[in-house]
Amino acid sequence: MALEDYRRDIEGCSRCSSCKWVPYNQIKSWRFSKNCPSIYRHNFHTYSGSGRMVIGLSLLEGRVELDETVAEIIYKCQLCGACDSACKTYRDDIDISEVLLELRAYCVEQGELLIEHMAMIDALKREGNTLGEPKAQRGDWAEGLDVKDVNAETCDVLFHAGCRYSYDRDARQTARGHVQLMRSAGMGVGIAGKEESCCGGRAYELGYRGEAANYADDVLSLVKSSGAKTLVTACADCYSHFQYVYPKMGKELPVEILHVSQVTEKLLDSGKLRFRRKLPLSVTYHDPCHLGRKGEPFAGVWKGDKLDRPMNLKRSGRKGVYDAPRNVIDEIPGLELTEMERIREYAWCCGAGGGVLEAFEDFSASTTAERIAEALATGAEALVTSCPWCLRVFKDAVEETSACIAVYDLTDLALMSAGIAQPAAV
Amino acid sequence: MIRVISDEAYKELEAAVGPDNVSRLPVVLDSYAFQPFENHESMPWCPSPVAVALPSTTEEVSEVIKACNRHGLKHKAFSTGWGMWCGPTTDNVVQIDLRRMNQIVEIDEKNQFAIVEPYVCGAQLQAEAMKVGLNTHIIGAGPNTSPLASATSMYGVGHDGIYMSYSARNVLGLEWVQPTGEVLRLGSPGSDKGWFSGDGPGPSLRGTMRGYTGALGGMGVFTKVALKLFNWPGPPQVKSSGTVVDLTSEIPENIGLYMCFFPNADKLADAYYDIGEAEIGYNSLKVATPAFMMVLAPHLFKKLKDTKNLSRMLGKTMGHLFLMLLAGTSKEDLAHQERVLEAIVDEHDGFILDQKNIPPLKSNFMMNFIRATLPALVFRIGGSFSTALGRNDSLDSQVTWGEAIADIKRGYASKGQIIDDMGDNPYFVPYESNMFAHCEVVYPYDHRNPRHLEGSNNITMDFIIGAVELCMEAGFGTLPPARKILSPLTSNYNYWQKKFSEAFDPDQGSDKGLYTDETEFDFSEIAPERVAKLERLVKERTWTELGPPE
Amino acid sequence: MSHKTVDLDGFKQVVGPDNVSTQESELESFRSAGMASRGSPVAIVKPTEMSELRDIIILARQTGANLVFSSSAPPRFRGDSIPSEDGVIVDLSGMDEITRLDRRNKVAYIEPGVTFSHLIEAADKVGLKVLMPLLPRAGKSVLACFLEREPITIPKYHWDMTDPLLCTEMVFGTGDLFRTGTAGSPGTIEQQIDAGLAHKNPLGPGTTDFLRIVQGSQGTLAGVTWATIKLEVKPSVHKIYFVPDIKLERLIEFTYRALRPRLGDEWLILNSRALATLIGETSAAVEELAGRQAPWTLVYGVSGYRYLPEERMALQEKDLGKIAQAAGVVPVSEVPGCPAKKMERILASPSPEPYYKTVPKGAFTDIFFLATLDEVSTLIAVMEKACEHHGYPTSELGAYIQPIQQGRTAHVEFALSYDPADEAESKKVAELADSASRALDAAGAFFSRPYGAWSDIAYRNCPDTVEALKKVKRVMDPDNVLNRGKLCYGEEVV
Repeated sequence: MALEDYRRDIEGCSRCSSCKWVPYNQIKSWRFSKNCPSIYRHNFHTYSGSGRMVIGLSLLEGRVELDETVAEIIYKCQLCGACDSACKTYRDDIDISEVLLELRAYCVEQGELLIEHMAMIDALKREGNTLGEPKAQRGDWAEGLDVKDVNAETCDVLFHAGCRYSYDRDARQTARGHVQLMRSAGMGVGIAGKEESCCGGRAYELGYRGEAANYADDVLSLVKSSGAKTLVTACADCYSHFQYVYPKMGKELPVEILHVSQVTEKLLDSGKLRFRRKLPLSVTYHDPCHLGRKGEPFAGVWKGDKLDRPMNLKRSGRKGVYDAPRNVIDEIPGLELTEMERIREYAWCCGAGGGVLEAFEDFSASTTAERIAEALATGAEALVTSCPWCLRVFKDAVEETSACIAVYDLTDLALMSAGIAQPAAV
Repeated sequence: MIRVISDEAYKELEAAVGPDNVSRLPVVLDSYAFQPFENHESMPWCPSPVAVALPSTTEEVSEVIKACNRHGLKHKAFSTGWGMWCGPTTDNVVQIDLRRMNQIVEIDEKNQFAIVEPYVCGAQLQAEAMKVGLNTHIIGAGPNTSPLASATSMYGVGHDGIYMSYSARNVLGLEWVQPTGEVLRLGSPGSDKGWFSGDGPGPSLRGTMRGYTGALGGMGVFTKVALKLFNWPGPPQVKSSGTVVDLTSEIPENIGLYMCFFPNADKLADAYYDIGEAEIGYNSLKVATPAFMMVLAPHLFKKLKDTKNLSRMLGKTMGHLFLMLLAGTSKEDLAHQERVLEAIVDEHDGFILDQKNIPPLKSNFMMNFIRATLPALVFRIGGSFSTALGRNDSLDSQVTWGEAIADIKRGYASKGQIIDDMGDNPYFVPYESNMFAHCEVVYPYDHRNPRHLEGSNNITMDFIIGAVELCMEAGFGTLPPARKILSPLTSNYNYWQKKFSEAFDPDQGSDKGLYTDETEFDFSEIAPERVAKLERLVKERTWTELGPPE
Repeated sequence: MSHKTVDLDGFKQVVGPDNVSTQESELESFRSAGMASRGSPVAIVKPTEMSELRDIIILARQTGANLVFSSSAPPRFRGDSIPSEDGVIVDLSGMDEITRLDRRNKVAYIEPGVTFSHLIEAADKVGLKVLMPLLPRAGKSVLACFLEREPITIPKYHWDMTDPLLCTEMVFGTGDLFRTGTAGSPGTIEQQIDAGLAHKNPLGPGTTDFLRIVQGSQGTLAGVTWATIKLEVKPSVHKIYFVPDIKLERLIEFTYRALRPRLGDEWLILNSRALATLIGETSAAVEELAGRQAPWTLVYGVSGYRYLPEERMALQEKDLGKIAQAAGVVPVSEVPGCPAKKMERILASPSPEPYYKTVPKGAFTDIFFLATLDEVSTLIAVMEKACEHHGYPTSELGAYIQPIQQGRTAHVEFALSYDPADEAESKKVAELADSASRALDAAGAFFSRPYGAWSDIAYRNCPDTVEALKKVKRVMDPDNVLNRGKLCYGEEVV
């Protein structure tokens, strides 16, 4: 689609500012009532979901020309989807998220690129990941693991680690844990190791749709050749792209797609996994954007007037993965969950997404700091989440500020309680 | 499109608020020139500001205004910026975005008021007030709006009006940066005595800042207000899951919501009068039954609305309805209020459906009603809506207004110039135990549809004609063409507004487009007989030098 | 200016010779009000309709006369209708009709000369009651009373400071007519009524709110020729309770808790002296009764209306009982010298003659201001200290606390009785009133109704407000013909 195709969405905006707020019935305090990191930091209306849509209209009408300044405003957004989700509590006919993505594609088309994003894409092309890490080392995280190599044999369940889990110094251990958890329950898990392809999601979000499509083809090919009926990923970003972006691009994966938290929940329900060890810890859970509101599966495209779009085709963010991680937490004995004020489809972003972590460090850090503050406000001893990107920025922020809160991946806690790994001191 | 500001002026704005908090980038300015809501003439743009400034303190607001005045620039402030009345009405305006002034300065729990800055929204204030057993008036537009802006600069209607009145009557102390840049505090804060009173010493200057309506940015900038809070007999936080349509809340046992149906408008009105005298009610709203379907199930509504039987059922059998939320000091008190309500409804041949009959009334509607999140769902059907604001007075007069306007509406709907919503679709509220009441008749339309846009422009003036017929001033007297017609019929109020404007704004620095400007209106699209009627009424009712026609 | 220089012929042409008076017996009551005694009235002019008032003002603009509005009968106490310099009294008391009473909408249309007794009687006939201040003077104009923002005794009906006034017709100092609220709607008043309006909305038209501006202006901005005033339904059951206590703080706590959920009707607090003055019919009775009362007494009412009245009242009594217990106070149904029914009558009536506050000693001076309830005890202590300093027995100090704006604010009123024939005492009370007012101001009292010397005190605190008020004065009374010398406009207004 082109930007012009979203003109009706843009013009439909009434500038009510719902895109800047937590849905009103869920505002529980003055302090944690905002939902958009971009306008929270930058304040001018142009930095909101509505404001960015106006950029689109200004460009279409020739009121404004695309230049470095305009592009920077467009990119100073984590694409967390909070604006879209909030807008859709009232509106059925505006897809802010799609407009924001379209603006990025427009920037790339027009050659208004950020150096930092160009570096990410270069790295992706060169090494198959946006982190710039050697492709040859992608599979090192799984060394010694009892797991099938789908390059050599087929499997029932294909585990996609994702770039962050494959390379991040802390997350790699957890990546092994995800596999150990599934293997302990007797699941026939296979991985692609160093042949695993980046999902291409970041490229898509940065506006590089061509590259994204290429990586989607790679993943599709791998999935088909693996023989798997189920694709499991622990990376929320990858999950979102598999569930939504791929079908949107016409590259739907012919398998069931699950996040590892959903797998864990299923294993608990079937009795194949049991939590034996008590973990006396008060926790709060962060809903990753890509697992939550952006994890809502693709349902189809409506070609007519969106005022007539059937509700099942309206992507509201409500059908993301929210309950599975909470159910897992609920099952771990000793864990006491205190929710933050902004949760589920109105959760505050961790700050890492949309190319912001790479291009606008301060902005990313301030977004993360806000979430940490919210976690601290619950009084919980630990912040738990299910996304390696969220984990990375939370851990860095806590270390830098010496905040009194631990940060855990949900799978790490599950492993500890299941006795599959040595528990850390809690 | 002229949007040039001199470097000198811009530097002074930078000095006033800091370079990060002012912009003249066209891309930023356009986000402020985009004002589609209630913009019937130049959708979606209004005149672009030449710069946008974001002050964070009253002193910064003052400095911005003074800088504007030094350089012959006008200023126009807004709190949340929703609605074309927030944007500039002319060229050469600096938009003052008050987003950074977002503090709840104080909640005085004992004396039941809060001091707030412009960018505190209704939901925030309500959430904090409820923690100490208090509540705030939230206008029907929704909890995303600014209570300060409503109280100082706009209207103030909300369906909590039966208990929490109208915004203009909830103002205590006030801080006002005048169009000259000087800071004036009204009432007790002006004398350094706290914020509990907005009137005096002697005459109340609250009378210069707003009346039935506010100046919509045409008289300086309001930077703090003490607003009344009201008793909240519920929990410190209502536990809910979901957001609006999917909301499920735990509601305490001393609060109940009731749908009260009557056979006709007269009986409904009689019931409201009796309810007022019985002094029960926490929130109440007369609505049209089709409106429920329209906002909650718009697709189903579109499919079914032309069905004759449905139309008859919704329009006639269940056509006269109000929602009544009762909040008792205890379960026992609620039970008493319920019995009173039942007796009144029964006496006027009505019937009640409550949460026993319709469980979602309690679990879904109740919190939506309390937080005023339901009305904005009217956007769903077409993407926009507008309204025929009447002139609040006796409840009977509002019933008459609603019926008259519904007739006008039907005419436009039948021509496809607005969306047919099957009824009068009133937003009808009694204030202060029915001391007076409000009725605006809402109509949905799609502002992207040129035919609708034309219709919405004309229908507004058609409503004005209806208002004059019914001896009403009409809330949309804020529009320049309406003011031109109405002022000579209503004490020449604009003459006096201009006098105050000259006195308080000698350099005419505030953007007065929606405060005192008057413009002509092209009546060629309005039915000739109605225009002729207006001309006759204007001739009859225009005030002379001696006063009103007798 | 004397009547030799005032153009009385001009006024006679406007109102007719019979409606212009220079009789000393009539002028006398405009020479002093309590301790305010400055300037002199040179003539009384009595318009009987709005057009005459307008012409009077236009004439004053031409001749430079000083016009002072009055609509109440004497005696006068506040001083706002005593000319600060030689002036012509515009006596509106002859416009004394209740032109309409609308039961359904609970509203009365009254002219300036309508007194409380007149209105109470008319309202009673249709089952309505008047929202009363505490024992207004028998000859007090209802309209003038509420133009002065006199507080009413039922806080739950006091939503805004303009209550119970609604719409008005007024003539500015320019001679221009203006109708406020929905009275300013298109059409004649009769046409508006036929269209269903009941003149209940006090706001507007447009962005104007001249009622609010003119209220409290002591006639310096406009003269009001009629107004609508909201009435309320007479309860079908009603009871009065007393809560005597030695500690004011407990009564204030009780007040806070009760008024928050709008329990109760009448609600006021009196000290022993003020209560005794209210209920004692002679000076001796006041002295005797004062000695038998608790230091403080809260008086409140509970009501039931048309539907389930007894049930409503019982619930209110139960809730209030619980709150009283939590506050550590005990409601009773009578106090020495005053059973509930007697207080009920008092609260529903104007003062008998002579005005009740003159009963103890013949004369009195009031000090009143606004504060929040939680500041009242502090301010009372300030007042008592001032009394001690000036040798005024605190046992003779009357104190009346009236919650207003539904309990958000309190009108605090002190009454200092004195014998006007006793020069020394009169001088002492005058000095006490002055120094106590200053001390109260310094302690946080808000003199929102700045009569006489209070205008210096009040306006010294708010120079910015003064400048703004001057602007308003220049708009509404550019030739400064209305009550010159009052409030804060100074000489440079013109």
